[in-house]
Amino acid sequence: MVYSEEERAIIYYAALSGLDRRSCAAALRAPKDLASALTAEEREKTDAFLASLEKDGMFAFTVASDDYPESLKAIPDPPLVLYGAGNRALLKEKKFCIVGSRITPPWAEKVGKELSQTLSEHFAIVTGLAEGGDSAAIAGAIQSGNLISVLPCGLAECYPAAHAALKEKIRNGGLLLSEYLPHMQTAKYSFHARNRLLAGLSEGVLVLSAGERSGTLITASRALEYGRDVFALPYNLGVSQGAGCNDLIKKGAYLVTCAADILSCYGIEAREEQKADVTEDEERLLSLLRSRGEMHPAELASALGIKVYEISALLSSLEIKGLAVKSGGNKYSAV
Amino acid sequence: MIAKIICYTLNGLEGVPVEVEADVNKGVPSYDMVGLPDTAVKESKERVRSALKNSGLLFPMNRITINFAPADLKKEGANFDLAIAVSLLKASEQLLGADVKDIVFLGELALTGDLRPISGLLPILISAKSHGFTRFIIPAENAEEARYLGDAEVYPAASLGDVVRHLVGTMPIPPLEMREFIPNLGRQSSADLKYVKGQPIARRALEIAVAGGHNLLMSGPPGTGKTMLARCLPTIMPDLTFDEALEITKIHSVAGILGETGIVSERPFRTPHHTATTVSMCGGGNRIVHPGEISLAHGGVLFLDELPEYKRSTLEALRQPLEDGVITVSRAGGTFTYPARFMLCASMNPCPCGNYGSTDRTCTCTPSEIRRYRKKISGPLLDRIDLQVEVDNVTYDDLTSDEMNEDSATVKARVDAARRIQRVRFEGLPINTNAEMGEREIQQFCRLTREGDKILRDAFDRMKLSARARARIVKVARTIADLDSSEDILPKHVFEAVSYRLYDKIG
Repeated sequence: MVYSEEERAIIYYAALSGLDRRSCAAALRAPKDLASALTAEEREKTDAFLASLEKDGMFAFTVASDDYPESLKAIPDPPLVLYGAGNRALLKEKKFCIVGSRITPPWAEKVGKELSQTLSEHFAIVTGLAEGGDSAAIAGAIQSGNLISVLPCGLAECYPAAHAALKEKIRNGGLLLSEYLPHMQTAKYSFHARNRLLAGLSEGVLVLSAGERSGTLITASRALEYGRDVFALPYNLGVSQGAGCNDLIKKGAYLVTCAADILSCYGIEAREEQKADVTEDEERLLSLLRSRGEMHPAELASALGIKVYEISALLSSLEIKGLAVKSGGNKYSAV
Repeated sequence: MIAKIICYTLNGLEGVPVEVEADVNKGVPSYDMVGLPDTAVKESKERVRSALKNSGLLFPMNRITINFAPADLKKEGANFDLAIAVSLLKASEQLLGADVKDIVFLGELALTGDLRPISGLLPILISAKSHGFTRFIIPAENAEEARYLGDAEVYPAASLGDVVRHLVGTMPIPPLEMREFIPNLGRQSSADLKYVKGQPIARRALEIAVAGGHNLLMSGPPGTGKTMLARCLPTIMPDLTFDEALEITKIHSVAGILGETGIVSERPFRTPHHTATTVSMCGGGNRIVHPGEISLAHGGVLFLDELPEYKRSTLEALRQPLEDGVITVSRAGGTFTYPARFMLCASMNPCPCGNYGSTDRTCTCTPSEIRRYRKKISGPLLDRIDLQVEVDNVTYDDLTSDEMNEDSATVKARVDAARRIQRVRFEGLPINTNAEMGEREIQQFCRLTREGDKILRDAFDRMKLSARARARIVKVARTIADLDSSEDILPKHVFEAVSYRLYDKIG
């Protein structure tokens, strides 16, 4: 990796000098030629740091780099240096962010995964690394490799630790980003700061699930501040994991029921979904599920006049075909 | 004079004959015991002395030696008391004319001379009968369990005095009347599926589990009736045969928990608390190895409520007995094998707070807490649980459906029919139920149609099922087809089987 003198100077001041954010910015603003700002000793330290990054398969890029995303430059406090691992070319792609809280209902995870898969044909999908909504977005986009995961900790760390394998997968197929030094642990503030990057990198943000005080809402409100589009899935009333989403829609976010709702905002035409093969009984079941929402097999059985265990079999079949999902308490809904 | 009396001791579930020899000689009065007696046996000295005196008999003031043969076997417990007392009486010539040859004497003595019951009487009687003994004198309080021995003379005695009067012929004890075995006689459990409200899916899972001998895991928030459902399991299981009942009774007799009825006529339902230790679960003890909960549940149901709360090591210890149907415990005193073929029924909450997956209540657990909670149950254990089902947290009892208010007897009839099919299928094989099928039997009996095979493949792709889930789904599908009296496993059977895999779907 070749770094220009200017990049080296920025990396030194931002990462190695030990200056706090404000004095670092002041130092860089001072009217001097960045290309020759570093002393020999400082330059050596910077080179050693960059070499160690490269050894661990990471790279750094700065506001002065060519591929620093323009959308990120537009926010009030862009990070001076970002660290990455994986496919650097994704930085130049158009980006779209999909997030959701850690506890996301199964149907929303499934919808999120499918939306992510469709959108990843046109965008690099930006998300975090947590369970629930983030995982759904990752699961949808990992196949195409159009996936950027921004971590709230250094790239050598993993939070949550249980997702270490997933993280490696993303490093190999997509791109990992962080604004922190490789070995920094998460801190309370780092989640908020990371959320600003999610919003800042992307042209739009889709919220899969958000409780009333979910951290996901921070991402959404940042997106609004930066003038990006906000999309949200609609929820039933009284479902706590969806209160934040409904709130966003009330305040003017786009309501999303299919990928076309998002793609049309960016002037992209959606492909026609091909229809799955269903039997007559399954069709009846499906239409009932679609019209009545979440239902229990016992309710379906009494509505259709079939035995409950036969309903279980039909639902299982629909689940395998990807047309229904099971949520808590043995209830099923159509997707 | 020397007297020789036969007594029995237990080694696991097997009775071992012990000869009690008493020698009463002239000399300085003394009382010695040889032949590896433990403390309880040595203490019998005082019990025998008082019992003789209080029964109006004479304790010989001579040089007394008691020997237990074979000398290399440790003698434990108090069931030698009666044999020692009788041998003393015989040796001191107080039982002139009495025939004590080939009679087995069993019982513990009280100071008053009364006979106290002993544990493990039935297994002793069964072993002794197989060794050729046909006459037994036992404590009256043990009489009920001896009634099912059949074809032997059993004399229940209330006290040492009764025994003496019986032996010398002044007041013979009438031999015990034998009884026929009737399953579920004097049933104690009042559980019945008709009292369960709603829960059509869990009901069906119970039926399949019992029909195919599968293990079952129920997941659901607290207070949704998991325990109630589990208690109904014995009521839909096939009736005990006499041999099964005898085997269960032997175990319960050794453990000393046999009730008044004398024989276990209904399938056991054991619910060890989650603080249970590995030893209490599997069996153990200092020298005598007591059967553990899994052996007490032999032939019935072992219900583990709140499965993740059990100690991990305790749960892991269940794996081998679940596979083999027996547990072998080794201790300093020897190695003991107890039968342990039970149906495992477990219940758990979906997460520590219990609300995960609920749509109206908020789960307050973090994902890592939930992960940790579920991780407490290891994959290998989960592998042995063929059916995993979620319990409804809302009752749908306002919906009138035949399936939701069936009673146990109706379900049991269907289970019995499915079991009959399996009995024919596994004729000549060492297995009885679908759940016990190995890879070879699955190949032989569970041929899937091309369509069924495709469904399974799709299911694997879509639901990310683990590879080892395949065999279990196929086995459950076989049982569902049996309940449907269908020779072939049809697609609908496979679909239904797939729906009972709760924890395989989660990565």
